[in-house]
Parts: sequence; C-alpha cells; structure tokens
Amino acid sequence: MAKALRTEALLDFLRAVQQDARRLVAPVEEDGLRLFRAVDRVEEITLAEGNTRWSFKEVLFPRSEALFHYRLSGGSVALQEPDQPEGETVVFGARPCDAAGLAVLDAVFAPNGRPDPDQAPEHEDPFYRRRRAQTTIIGLACLEPGPACFCTAVGLSPTGTAGSDLLLTPLPDQGVFLAEAVTEKGERLLAAHAHLFTDTDDTKEQATRAAEGRIQRTALSGVGGPLATLFEAPPWEELAARCLGCGACAFVCPTCHCFDIVDEGNAAGGSRCKFWDSCGFALFTAHTSGHNPRATQPARFRQRVLHKFRYLPERFGVQGCVGCGRCIATCPVNMDIQEVVAKVTG
Amino acid sequence: MMSDTFEPKIVAFVCNWCTYTGADLAGTSRMQYPANVRIIKLPCTGRISPLFIMKALEQGADGVLVSGCHPGDCHYTAGNYHARRKYTIFREMLHFLGVEPERLFFSWVSAAEGRKWADLVAEVTDTVRRLGPRRSAWGEPVEGIAAPRLSANPVPFEAPAGTFAAQAEAMREKAKALLAGGEVGTVIGYEQGTLPGTARPAFVSTPEEVDRLVWNEHCHQNLAVYAARKPAKPGKVALVVKPCDERSLVGLLQENRLAREDVVLIGMACHGVQSEGALAPRCAACQTRTPALADPVIGEATPPTATADPRLEQIARIEQMAPAERWNFWQGHFSRCLKCYACRAACSLCTCERCLAEKAQPRWIPAPPDGAGNLSWHAVRAWHLAGRCVDCGACSAACPADIPLYLLNLKLAQVVKDAFDYEAGRDPAAAPPLTTYREDDAQEFIR
Ligand code: SF4
Ligand code: SF4
Ligand code: SF4
Ligand code: SF4
Repeated sequence: MAKALRTEALLDFLRAVQQDARRLVAPVEEDGLRLFRAVDRVEEITLAEGNTRWSFKEVLFPRSEALFHYRLSGGSVALQEPDQPEGETVVFGARPCDAAGLAVLDAVFAPNGRPDPDQAPEHEDPFYRRRRAQTTIIGLACLEPGPACFCTAVGLSPTGTAGSDLLLTPLPDQGVFLAEAVTEKGERLLAAHAHLFTDTDDTKEQATRAAEGRIQRTALSGVGGPLATLFEAPPWEELAARCLGCGACAFVCPTCHCFDIVDEGNAAGGSRCKFWDSCGFALFTAHTSGHNPRATQPARFRQRVLHKFRYLPERFGVQGCVGCGRCIATCPVNMDIQEVVAKVTG
Repeated sequence: MMSDTFEPKIVAFVCNWCTYTGADLAGTSRMQYPANVRIIKLPCTGRISPLFIMKALEQGADGVLVSGCHPGDCHYTAGNYHARRKYTIFREMLHFLGVEPERLFFSWVSAAEGRKWADLVAEVTDTVRRLGPRRSAWGEPVEGIAAPRLSANPVPFEAPAGTFAAQAEAMREKAKALLAGGEVGTVIGYEQGTLPGTARPAFVSTPEEVDRLVWNEHCHQNLAVYAARKPAKPGKVALVVKPCDERSLVGLLQENRLAREDVVLIGMACHGVQSEGALAPRCAACQTRTPALADPVIGEATPPTATADPRLEQIARIEQMAPAERWNFWQGHFSRCLKCYACRAACSLCTCERCLAEKAQPRWIPAPPDGAGNLSWHAVRAWHLAGRCVDCGACSAACPADIPLYLLNLKLAQVVKDAFDYEAGRDPAAAPPLTTYREDDAQEFIR
C-alpha cells in the first residue's frame, strides 16, 4: 500500500533526512535562477514547479574534479590521493526526467547495474561509482510541466518513478505527498522515518493524467529507428545553420556525460583534472594534425542528436534524451532537439 | 596581524633595456634592497602582457611590479606607450574584480636609475608586507564575508502598438526583393521560436521562405555573430540588424574581418527589446535607436524611456563595496560558470579562430570550470573585449548561469571612454584604442 506524507510535514522529513546524511542537495533560488545546491537549512529549498537551470548530475559527475594530485621534485613524481568524496548524500527534488537520466550515466560510468563500490570491473569509473553508491534520490513529481518539457514524447512521465529511490507526488487536494519507495534505499528511508508517513488509498492516477495532458509537444515516434539511416539524408546544414557551437546544451543536460582530462599545475606540482566537455565544441574532435572529422557545426549538432536518439539506444539500450527541455530553454538561439527529431523522423 | 613574520612574494616583470639594466646597476653598486622581488626579464614592456600579471596572481604572488623605460626612451620606439594603455585598462579591471589596487605597481626605471629601483623595491615590499597576504587564492572566495547580491531593477517594457508589424512587413518585402533579384543568397533574420514569447535567428534563401521572418520585441539576439561566417548557400548575406547589432559590424570592419560590400544590412529602427519579460537592461537608456550604417533603415525609432542607464547604478554599487566584498560578489557569480562558452559563441566580436581558452601551451586560463579557471576566463574575455565590446548584450543573454557579464564589459567601456575618449562600434575609420597611443596619455598610476 502506498504511503502519504502530510504537506506540512515535508520539511520535518527533510530535516530528519539531512541529519542522517552528510549532505542534502536540493533546489534553491540564487541570483534569480534555480539551482541544486547543498543546503544548510531546509527552509532554503524551493518547491516551485518546473526545472532547475541545470540538472543535479554534478552531484555524481562534478563539472570538475581532481583524479589525483602530484608533486614534482628533482626527477621524481609523488602522487597523492584525490580529495575525499562528499560522503552520504541525499538529493531531494529530482524531477522524474532528471532521475530517469541517471540510467545513461550509469550505463556509461557504472555499467554493471546498481553499482557496488567493492566489486566493479576495472573499466568502471570509481569516482562515479563511489558517489552513486552513497547517493539517495528523492524524486518530486511534476504537476505543471513547462513549455519546453517533453518527457511524454520520449516515453516517460511527469510522475514516473525511474531513477528515484523514493518518489513524492504532490496531491494538493488531499494535502499530502504520495510516497512511493522504488528501491531498497527508498524503503529504508521510509522505514527510518515511519512516524511521518501514513498508509493511504490515494493514487496518483489523476495527477498523472492532468500533468501529462499539459505537455504540448508531439511524441517522437520510432526513436532510434528512422534515425539509423539519416546520417547524410536530412538537411542537417539547414537545421543547424544557426547553432553557435557552445556547450550550453550539453552542460545543462542530465544525460550528457563527455569529459576531458588535463593536468593543471606548475613546476612544483598540480592535479590531473577531469571536467565536462561537449561535442558542440570544434575542439572536441580536433586532431593534433589540425584535421577535424566533424568539421562543421551542423556535423557536431548531428552528433548531439544521433548520440542521444540512436547511438545510446543501440549501444547501451538506454534512451539518451529524457525530454527535460533544458537544452531548448537555455540555447541562445533556440535549437530545439524535439522539433528537430520530430522533423527528421516525421 | 602577520606583518612581522610575513615575507611577501612579489613578481617583477621588467624590460631588458632600461629597468633590468637599472636593477643590475643597483646590484653592482651594492645598494641594499629586500630580496622579496623575483625579477622576470622581457624584451620590452610592450611584451609584458597583462596576462603575465594575471598569471602571477593566479600562482600566488602577493604583489606584482611592472617596470620599463620612461616614455620616449623605448628601445622599440613605442612599446611602453602601448603597454601603458593596456595597464590603464587592466588594472581598473582587476580593481573592479576586487584585487586590491595597492598590490599592483607600475614604474619607469631607466638604466641609470639604480637608486630609484632600490628605493622602489623597498617601498613595494614594505607596502605589500603591511597589506599582508592575499586574503584568498585566485578564484576562491574570501572566507567569512558573504557574497553581496545586487538585485536588478527591470525597467517595465512598453512597446508601441503596431510599429513592429508595419516594420516587419517592410522588412520582409526588402528581404524578398534582395533574394528575388539575386543580390544576396541568404537573408539572416528572425523567426518565431518554439517557446512562448521567443524569437530566434532564421536563415532563409528563397523569397517563399521569407514569410517565416518576424520582427518583434523578442528579437534580442545579435545576428552580426553570423556576419563573418561562411554561409552554406552561395552568394552574399543580408542581415537584419538593430542599431546596437550594427555597432558589431563597425568593429568587424575596423578589424578587417569583413568588408562593407560583403554584407547587406537591413536596419531596423529600434523600440528596445525584451529579455525575460522586461526591457533588456541595455535598452533602457540606449540613445542610438536608428541604424547608421544600414542600407535601408526600416521604420521610425521609439525614443528611450529612461534617461539614466540603470546598469550604471549597479556598477556604482559594486564600486562602493570593499575589495573583499567585490571579490566575493564576482566569485559568487563566477562559481556558477559552466565554461560552456556560450558567451563567446554568441559574441560577434569573439572572432578568434582559436580562443585563448583553448590553448594549452602556455595555458593562460586553467581549463576546468572551477575557481581559478573561471576567474581567469572571465578576466581574459572581458580584457579581450575592452575597447571592442559594443554592449549588444548577447553574452549576458546567452549565459545559462545568468552571470551579469555586461557589468564587467560596461565598466571597461567606461574606463576606455574616460581614458581614451573612445567608444567602440561608432566609427569604422577610427583606430581602436589598443592599436594606438598618445604620447600624453595619462599615467598617474605609474611611478
Ligand atoms: S537532450 Fe535536451 S531535452 Fe533531452 S535530456 Fe538532454 S537537455 Fe533534456
Ligand atoms: S540597445 Fe538600443 S539599439 Fe539595441 S535593442 Fe536596445 S534599444 Fe535597440
Ligand atoms: S575570449 Fe579572447 S581569445 Fe577567446 S574568442 Fe574572445 S577575443 Fe578571442
Ligand atoms: S555563457 Fe555563462 S556559463 Fe557559459 S562560459 Fe560564459 S559565463 Fe560561463
């Protein structure tokens, strides 16, 4: 049977969760934009509908992190362990699209199902794996999807549970959040704070129908299918003529996961850093020789579309775009991935 | 505080011909001066790029001294005159970012002035020792001081009814005529965006497609960003431009990125544009509402609503902050920077084939989007746009992190105006301020 959390008890629940974990990450308002931040006081958290400017992926895949530090002296190099990860973390307020996007990060960085830090093959990303194991996701369903949202067009739902450990769906008429434990971690959260939750017969069906009904964008049919033959065919040049070649779309995206590695330091030492990169940049594929296999911006934009809608489904069986609409909303020139895919497959 | 035990690290960049020789003279004359200064010798102050100052600060210098030949004495005739202009702007920029100006020193020391060098080094060392260590590392906030926030006061947007529609019609007619007559192969204008209340750049190449083009208060992007790019379709390009966008073209002409006859400009008399539901900050007091360069100018402009630029008040408020507060104000904003480079991509004057941010040897800007990397990126981009930025607002509008880049750019535009009486994007025949100099340029900050 589903559980209910009274609307007024949400902050009590989060406060209790915060006491158990080392870190609570949740949406807050800062300089007029909404971002996920580690919060000191749960009162800072905003419950406003709609998405943060970028996803919470940086909790698991930071925009920049040191893989190790090094000291140079004489002819010798001394390596030092990287900084300690942040420890037990709870993310609250993950929207169902963002939570579903974890499937892509997992597929790439921790491909063996739910990652176990002690038993993972060499090629897994130990940094991601460790953070993933120490992170619990409390999802928050959407009642009012925005104009850029299209999760339903890629087979997801504004009240979907994928990726969340615990999903809260607001039922304002009943004055409660419906709480669904999705994983063992979610079950444990419910059990640990059982006194705040009551049994309920309420369901989220009506909320789901209403929220899904608000999404205006057309379904992307046969995602993965038709795109398989469209590498040269559709007029990418025309579709992407205005693309400026920045990385905004990739950096706000919950599923983009490309990174670069450089050594940052001086003659005394430094750090080997891993940090976000984007296929939208010309430098991303530039060879040392000067040759660039993706020579034009339309070719780079095509990569963005095909990576999400064809290569990821083909290679990992995951869907590369979860329809959060962020890239559409943040793009300085309104490159609209949903519009483009609908056009080329339609 | 620590001034008894604190030994400051000071980096001195000096020219080979005057100051280095002067320092050498101080040494051979056995003059005593503190050993805190690490001297780096370069051929000329003209080669002492402001980036060197930035790098020294990034690497932890407590103070930086730059010194070269007196005006008129440059071994290469004018290297020091050019350098003086650069430092005039760069030190104001660092100051605006919250670097204490007392840590930066500029001087002219000739080969004969061994005494002056010894006294200068003593004074510099003493000043920095009294200031104490820098209060935080490059790109890290000063601890214990909250990052001040500035609230923007959006000016309510009032669009004159009907004006846009009539202009739009005339613009489409012109675009059709240009394409039908074969005068241009592509018209770059605006079409409706996919989100409510948005417009976006549109490339059209047949008269039929022209019907997609719109002109309204949402047309805020600066299409000059496409001016220097090679169009996919053969033929010339026509751009739909606002007066502020047109100023980018002036810059591109000055810098030989483009010749006037390479592009047709469809100029739109302006009523101001919207960003996020309110009048774009730059438009409130914009005085240039009629294009000056365009081939046809379409419509009649609406006079500005405000007389004072609201952004100048924001700048004044930043200037009232103590250096550590200022520093934290900027670190607070820069900490959000993702290094997505949308600011650069949207900038019509960031035309470098390979941006400094992409160069690894030497690496002026740490690549990761973290404290040091972000601060250096913002300092470099603002510096590169000093005297060039035309205040079109494209970078700030493009930034997904809502960093008020315009405050930094506008501040430097003020410095350039005050120091060199120059405004970017006004006169295609004018020499950009950092390509020229005057022998009597002000130099009160140089000892
Ligand atoms: S591609 Fe765009 S819409 Fe899809 S998940 Fe990424 S940011 Fe969201
Ligand atoms: S700055 Fe001036 S020219 Fe540019 S959009 Fe605003 S009002 Fe128009
Ligand atoms: S930031 Fe500087 S180097 Fe980079 S593109 Fe702009 S002007 Fe060129
Ligand atoms: S657009 Fe904004 S987030 Fe992106 S690099 Fe520029 S300042 Fe940073």
